Amino acid sequence: MPPEPPINGGYMIAAYIVAAVILLGYFGSLVLKTGKR
Amino acid sequence: MRDAIRLALVVAAKDARAELRSKTALLSATVFGALVLVIFNFARDPTALSATDLAPSALWVTFAFAAMIAMNRAFTVEREHGALDGLLLAPVPRGALFAGKLLANLAFVGIVEAVALPLFILFFNLDLSRVFWGIVGTAILATVGFVAVGTVFGAMTVRTRFAELLLPVLLLPFMVPPLVGAVQVTSRLLADRPLSEMLGWLRILAAYDVVFVTVAALVFSSVVDE
Amino acid sequence: MTAPAPASVVSPPTLDRARVVMRRGTIISSIALVGLVVVYVLALGFTPIEAHQGLAQKIFYVHVPAAWSALLGFSLVGIVSVLYLWLHDPRLDRFAASSAEVGLVFAAVMLTTGPIWAKPIWGTWWTWDARLTLTLFLFFLFVGYLSLRAAVHDRHERARFSAVVGIMGMILVPFVHLSVYLFRTLHPQPIVLKPSAPSLPWEMLRTLLISTLVFTVLYVGLVTLRYGIALAADAMEARDAA
Repeated sequence: MPPEPPINGGYMIAAYIVAAVILLGYFGSLVLKTGKR
Repeated sequence: MRDAIRLALVVAAKDARAELRSKTALLSATVFGALVLVIFNFARDPTALSATDLAPSALWVTFAFAAMIAMNRAFTVEREHGALDGLLLAPVPRGALFAGKLLANLAFVGIVEAVALPLFILFFNLDLSRVFWGIVGTAILATVGFVAVGTVFGAMTVRTRFAELLLPVLLLPFMVPPLVGAVQVTSRLLADRPLSEMLGWLRILAAYDVVFVTVAALVFSSVVDE
Repeated sequence: MTAPAPASVVSPPTLDRARVVMRRGTIISSIALVGLVVVYVLALGFTPIEAHQGLAQKIFYVHVPAAWSALLGFSLVGIVSVLYLWLHDPRLDRFAASSAEVGLVFAAVMLTTGPIWAKPIWGTWWTWDARLTLTLFLFFLFVGYLSLRAAVHDRHERARFSAVVGIMGMILVPFVHLSVYLFRTLHPQPIVLKPSAPSLPWEMLRTLLISTLVFTVLYVGLVTLRYGIALAADAMEARDAA
């Protein structure tokens, strides 16, 4: 029976959320700037 | 060619005279050096961390920040006296102009380092009898590299509003390879290691100098000319 | 010391053109963001879990493509900087600025996901290994580049200065790499776990490649959008000056 993988899903979730926030946030800020033109 | 050299020296001397009159950079850099020394010494546990282990890092932190202060100051001086603008109107070869600025900056930074080093020898009780010239040589090798970059960046930031902040922000990444190399070589010198252990780092330092002095000289005209 | 490109060669920016570019950029970015959702679902739901590293290994599918995009952005800034000093085309400068800003965003993703990945896998938030160190450098170079641009107001001067920093930044990277390499060969750090398996099973490779594709499209879309915004700003400035 192979050893169980470590329990570290929390890190994964955190990283995925942070990445999404940064990318979506930047995209959003750009879209807001286009609205001003 | 000889004219170019003479010109470079004239430029250098002009800057040096202007700074020596005010002495601000020298003073602030020396005070900073002394401060670093005191802090590092009181912060360490002498039984756990020997002077020779700590000295290279402390020395180069001081050199790095003092160099930054000195270069900042050099360009502030030049801005206040408008020396550069006058020179640019004349058909002065930009390579010579860069060499002059580089020499002036090296002189400023060199003076600061020359003042800081004896303080270090004193406070850290270093025995440099065998490696003194090695330390000096390493200091020169590392300093030339980042001062060349600093000369170009200084010329760019001098007229901006937050020049004192912008120059360090720009320069910091460029100071790391020479500083890392210098600390590595210095710590090996102090530990009496054989030359073979330092060659790799010395080569990096030398390569950095050659590459960046050349590139800096080449791009300098793009910075000062329209 | 070549003269700047004569005005007749490069047509002046117009607001209409800028709007076209902005719209294009928005569309491409939106497509890429939908692709990102797909990648997330793929990575989280349809890719096997790595046995030794657990779920945290999946950060790999976000971190590595972000690294690729950041590096792409950085390299293009360097190359375009050289071209600018040669050709003095304002479009090159506009592109470099856009690529730098977008590159910074991807570098930020790297710099956040990297330590979050390192902590469970290597036990420490940070190590001075080649990857993380270079990421940090890229980040600082981008920040310096963009700070300088913000501080210089004359457009020609700003373009020239940026190009100089771009070129010097590009030349710096090999030296950072060399230093890290030399440092590590002399101070071997214990490698607890290799972050990626020596040969990736097909499903993992597939997810990684799709993610890389999506991140590349995202880079293109964001740069296009950013370029359009810069173009609009230049167009308004030109109109106000007229």
